Amino acid sequence: MEGLLSILRRLKQPPECEVRLLLLGLDNAGKTTLLKQLAAEDISHITPTQGFNIKSVQSSGFKLNVWDIGGQRKIRPYWRNYFENTDVLIYVIDSSDRKRFEETSLELAELLEEEKLAAVPLLVFANKQDLMTASPASELAESLNLHTIRDRMWQVQACSALTAEGVQDGMTWVCRNIKFRKR
Amino acid sequence: MLGCIWQYVYTSYLRYWLKWLIRQATGTCELQRICSGYNPGATRTSKAEYSLQSSKNKVLRGALEASKDDLEKCVDQIMKEKNIKPEKDPQFRGRLHVCLLQITGYSSLFSSVEDLRKEVFSSECPQHEAMLLKLWGLLMPSVELESRITKQWGDIGFQGDDPKTDFRGMGLLGLTNLLFFSETYPEEARQVLSHANHPKLGYSYAIVGINLTEMAYSLLRSGALKPHFYNSVQSAPELRDFHLLYCYLAYEFDRFWVAEEPESIMLFNQYRERFHSIVKTRLQDPAVSLTLAPH
Repeated sequence: MEGLLSILRRLKQPPECEVRLLLLGLDNAGKTTLLKQLAAEDISHITPTQGFNIKSVQSSGFKLNVWDIGGQRKIRPYWRNYFENTDVLIYVIDSSDRKRFEETSLELAELLEEEKLAAVPLLVFANKQDLMTASPASELAESLNLHTIRDRMWQVQACSALTAEGVQDGMTWVCRNIKFRKR
Repeated sequence: MLGCIWQYVYTSYLRYWLKWLIRQATGTCELQRICSGYNPGATRTSKAEYSLQSSKNKVLRGALEASKDDLEKCVDQIMKEKNIKPEKDPQFRGRLHVCLLQITGYSSLFSSVEDLRKEVFSSECPQHEAMLLKLWGLLMPSVELESRITKQWGDIGFQGDDPKTDFRGMGLLGLTNLLFFSETYPEEARQVLSHANHPKLGYSYAIVGINLTEMAYSLLRSGALKPHFYNSVQSAPELRDFHLLYCYLAYEFDRFWVAEEPESIMLFNQYRERFHSIVKTRLQDPAVSLTLAPH
């Protein structure tokens, strides 16, 4: 009898939804710090990412598989190997590094042209807001021409991966806007 | 469960009585037996460390926290406390002194390493800048650096135009290790760099180096490097000894990477983990001494 009940209960509860999140951005944007912050891990011994890191995090009933891909120019050509089946693209920007806004803007524009990322919701993290020199998220959105994006849901979120401020707000948006791919 | 109970009974009661019995029978205390019964190195020092840690005597436990200059005094106090006569065991004083230098030296080495790691690389500091330029000169002796901010840094494996953002959580420790390797083993460092710059099998020399600094740092922090330092340095280990261990890791990782021929640089973290396991296995050997031996 008990066995039957537990089977019924299991039928009622949908299996946990797995979501694939892709973290991209230039080197030193703060992708790995963000990943470790999401996984509630120590962020004081971070090193530059050679290759990629992956972690699974539980959030709002989802199992988030977060892929953090190194941002150095030399390995950007490999980014495309990780596009397939992405549910949400998270693009991280160092808001204090104005000199590289153009470079990061060009990289983002190229990503949005990618067929495999078509219509995938986009969250832009305007990171490093803890620094005095950081541009506000609105200014960043303007210099990246985010308002011209019409083919997908998008959002810009100010945050500091170091202090975790704003990170949860961004993740809440992610969980609300997950566009489920056909499986 | 049974094992836990046995462990508890043994460490709190049995060990004490057993030691007392042997002491009565042989006329020597546990520390004396350790210092005379085992060869110098990890076996002797680790056993002495365990014996001092689990001692009920404050003088013995206190010796583990003493500063380097007080250690001779500590040995005298221990001998007095344990009633050890120098005439009967003339070697004991010197041997225990070395053990204590190694044990307390390991903790102070960690503090020095931690201080260096916490020092953030700053472009405003002329000393830091000089180190960076020296690194370039040693690795690329025939190529002039066009300017301080340049894509050329990519040729020695930094990520962007300015290496300053690549040191991150490893701070000046990462730069010091890179520089030390090039200064101490210039030929080997350049050989590793040439492998790293291989068009197919290559990797980013500098940032992989910084990742290996992280590996050395976490091995030190967890205590895993104790047997290595107890075997290789018969005194208190210094920063230099830590840098030498980094050289070993940088050289051996390169050999491992070249031999494995990974499909692409994207697989770095998997190979890093495998290399990490290999190093940890080597550290299990009581006779371990990880020194760079050119092939």
